[in-house]
Amino acid sequence: MMKQIYANPDLCTGCKLCSIACATTKFGVANPRKGAIIVRQNLYARYEFQSLCRHCDPAPCMDACMTGCIERDANGVVRLDASRCVGCWMCVMVCPYDAIARDLEIQVARKCDLCPDRAAPACVTVCPTEALMWAEAGVQNVKRET
Amino acid sequence: MKHTPITPRPLATLAHVDLTTRRVEISETPPDVVRKFVGGRGLNMYYLYKYLKPNTDALAPANPLILGTGILTGTGAPNSGRHSVTTKSPESGILGDSNIGGFLGPELRYAGIDRLLITGKADKPVYLYVEDGRVEIRDAQGYWGTNCTEATTRFKNALGADVEVELIGTAGENQVRYAATRYGLKNSAGRCGTGAVWGSKNLKAVVARGNRGLPLAHPEEFFAKAVELRKYLQQSKVIQVLGRVGTPLLYDVSNYLGAIRTHNSQKTTFEDTLNAEEIHHYVDKMLSCAGCVVHCRHRNSLGGEGPEYTSEVLVGANIGVSDTAQVIELQNIVNELGLDVSSVGTYLAWAIELYERGMLDKKMTDGKELRFGDYATLKRLIYDIAARRGLGDLLAEGSRLVDRFPGAEGFLIAIKGLPQSDPHDVRYLKGFALGIATSSRGADHLRSRPTLEIFDLPAEFTQQVYGQPVDPNPTSYRSKAVVVTFSETIYAVVDCVGICKFICHGFNSPRNLNYDHFRELIYLATGLEFSKEELVNVGRRVVDLERVINMREGITRKDDTLPARYFDETMTGRKTQGHHIDRAQFAQMLDEFYALHGWDKEGQPPRERVAEFEAL
Repeated sequence: MMKQIYANPDLCTGCKLCSIACATTKFGVANPRKGAIIVRQNLYARYEFQSLCRHCDPAPCMDACMTGCIERDANGVVRLDASRCVGCWMCVMVCPYDAIARDLEIQVARKCDLCPDRAAPACVTVCPTEALMWAEAGVQNVKRET
Repeated sequence: MKHTPITPRPLATLAHVDLTTRRVEISETPPDVVRKFVGGRGLNMYYLYKYLKPNTDALAPANPLILGTGILTGTGAPNSGRHSVTTKSPESGILGDSNIGGFLGPELRYAGIDRLLITGKADKPVYLYVEDGRVEIRDAQGYWGTNCTEATTRFKNALGADVEVELIGTAGENQVRYAATRYGLKNSAGRCGTGAVWGSKNLKAVVARGNRGLPLAHPEEFFAKAVELRKYLQQSKVIQVLGRVGTPLLYDVSNYLGAIRTHNSQKTTFEDTLNAEEIHHYVDKMLSCAGCVVHCRHRNSLGGEGPEYTSEVLVGANIGVSDTAQVIELQNIVNELGLDVSSVGTYLAWAIELYERGMLDKKMTDGKELRFGDYATLKRLIYDIAARRGLGDLLAEGSRLVDRFPGAEGFLIAIKGLPQSDPHDVRYLKGFALGIATSSRGADHLRSRPTLEIFDLPAEFTQQVYGQPVDPNPTSYRSKAVVVTFSETIYAVVDCVGICKFICHGFNSPRNLNYDHFRELIYLATGLEFSKEELVNVGRRVVDLERVINMREGITRKDDTLPARYFDETMTGRKTQGHHIDRAQFAQMLDEFYALHGWDKEGQPPRERVAEFEAL
């Protein structure tokens, strides 16, 4: 069964290390805006939560992408090839979870690919509070694997 | 998949904004200067030294205001969310420098601007908008007159929820001499009245949005190191407790000892209503600043954030308010108005004692009686200070009032014109006393407090912390100069690096990050190699430069002292009963402290050092 990232917003303290780790391991830079996991926080409305890709099936972003740069791979992971992205933001608009980030430096969309080359996604590994978990789809209350 | 084109950037950039001429110049900080001062507080001091002409009025346009990030700020290194706000202090009249968390520092770096040097004065209210390599001076007239929550919310509504905003409240606009620079609900560059300097320049806010990547020299290794250090830090018991209850954990320890500043330091024990456990009934969640693995910030159920140990004592025990909810409410108000809680709590307690002693009369208090524990009156007075109304207008002048009230200085718990921030009464812990007496910004604990002294640790353990044998007895005067100098040096380095003191070796635990951790992280992030000795020397250089700046402003050995009460009156509580500071032994500690710095008997750094700075 496909493994997924699960988020527990109650444990999220808003540090954004997950987003920074994503940018660091993917692109060699730090900046949470380039990460494919988005921490949304409003100190005055008193909330914070993580927006992350569910790899939906069917995936609205795949259908909406006009250049066809979003595709599902053999493992069921919905992947975005940024070299073919033109920054039209259609995927950003249709994502029901608001989980696709806009890299405004070079005008391309950023989305999660579940870090296929790592033991666990970088965001899960770095999270200081276990607010992110890496688990088989549908399995509840699991300890994360890092 | 490393196909992101990276906007090339120098190691450190500076945007010099002149608000009078409305000119912005962006330049690179020379790499050899970065090697000498690293970043953050160190580089800020370099620029303050260069741009501050001696004896400039702190509220005049010529006073430079510097916001500078550390070399690791925003990199994703543990707790790397910090930057320093540096200027000449309108409160103390000497060097003013304050370190702040939150998210603005990282955002400035992502926008390609590592440091803002702001001079001059705008002819009407403005804010700075920083995005991707540019700084714009924009109209802020519609924001003037608003406090922190409303102003931040309006900026976000106008510019997007994703911008980061650091600003002043009405206290800063009204140039209250201890107004703070604020991020969010509580994060503050609180000390030294930095907010009044923003106000004097008609500067309401700095707003940033950074879309650029901050390049890391060895990203995979850096990521692995950050994860390793996070796990290492989280094994520390102190870090775990800080993450659960925050700094109020120190209240219980200090009150048990009998060292809580109470009723303007006339007493040293207070009620258990401010214990961490009591505070925690009002905590909804613990929060982090950028990149933080500790999460010590409380989201309280009364609409704000905090309290810290400092705020619960300064607007609690020190002014005699014991009700937990009332104390949290008061510090929420102080934060919202954009004031420094340490100064507010100290001045209120001082005013009450002066009133009780008949040195302030009802004509000056607008007919009010000032009493310890009078929550309603004191609450109103805090609003009056921010608005500069009546007695509040008088108190807004802070430590400057000593000239107007002969004899009052002896009752003010301040050094070099800056009220004491540490809620500990330092008469018991001699190392703490030496630390606040010699701190470059006045009576402040975050420059050099050897916090571990409070725990009465065994000798083997303190040797491990300080790298040499020291007297582990906290009430002894022996070897405290060693302990304070060690702490002062490493805290200067952590402020240059842009990391929070809560994970710095010696501040909370000997198992926090030390020089070796800093040099590894700096190398992996930037490719710059520093030896441990070089980093230690950076710390010493920053401390010496601060001394030179202060001496230029008239500071001498006689200013490295303590409030009179600490010498002349004894403590009242539990284990600390009868303790005070002995003048002769204090002078000897000070001699040792100067000697360890290579300063002469008057506290003057050597000629060669001064020449080194003059050549910069």
